[in-house]
Amino acid sequence: MRSRAAAATLEGAGLEKVYSMEGGIRAWKGLTAKGAPEAGIAYFSAAARAEEMIALAWLLENGSRRFYDVLAHAIEDSDVADLHRQLAGAEERHKATLLDLYKKLVGAAPDVGFPQSVISVENEDDVMEGGMNVTEALQWVKGKSVTEILELSVALETNSYDLYLNMKRRLKDQPSAEVFRVLSGEEKEHLERLSALLEKKLP
Amino acid sequence: MGIMDYFKPVSTWPAEMVRAFLKEKTEDEYNLVDVRTPKEYEEGHLPGAQSIPVRDLSERLLELDSNKPTVVY
Repeated sequence: MRSRAAAATLEGAGLEKVYSMEGGIRAWKGLTAKGAPEAGIAYFSAAARAEEMIALAWLLENGSRRFYDVLAHAIEDSDVADLHRQLAGAEERHKATLLDLYKKLVGAAPDVGFPQSVISVENEDDVMEGGMNVTEALQWVKGKSVTEILELSVALETNSYDLYLNMKRRLKDQPSAEVFRVLSGEEKEHLERLSALLEKKLP
Repeated sequence: MGIMDYFKPVSTWPAEMVRAFLKEKTEDEYNLVDVRTPKEYEEGHLPGAQSIPVRDLSERLLELDSNKPTVVY
């Protein structure tokens, strides 16, 4: 009901094609992302400026890389281990991309205290994408099936895709927005690869 | 938004069609708007959706690109 009214408002305001999703979110069978609108994730509200978003993204990528890296070594299924190894590599590249962006923006390489010198996040070594805690996530995966682990990784990538799009929107026309657009595209691709493998591995 | 907006005919898409559309397109090709309350958004939303609660819609129209198709829920 709300979305139909919203669609009518938007059409009235001159938007080209507007579609209201039938049945609303309850009809949605795909994954959803969690987090406040201003956040994307809980601690995102601490980041306002572009360099703070870069620092936060770097921190999250670093946590995810650690998580994927441990999984790549721990999982026996070679397809699932391989994909997690590749994802760990991709997150490592994302960290480098973010550092480059930071250098361009600030005009100097970050100091040794990066990223904590830019943004203060509690337990900074333990956060990762999706607002999860690396230690807890690694604890959780113990004894879980490969499909359960894949589902967690899919949820993780869903949230980072969502987070990067939120960051891109918040940066509007600033040059840094482009980097977050590229990163969100890559997280979407990870999501698709994980989902395809999950479908294959489902009993 | 006026009360009459509730009664205007609008195009609707089944969730499956929305899903296929989002998968095929890149996020630069559409607006995806969650018009529910911030609290509902926080509890779970379509990946990539932006939160613009119904009550804020008319003031925040500029956040949407009027040349792109828009999906709302």
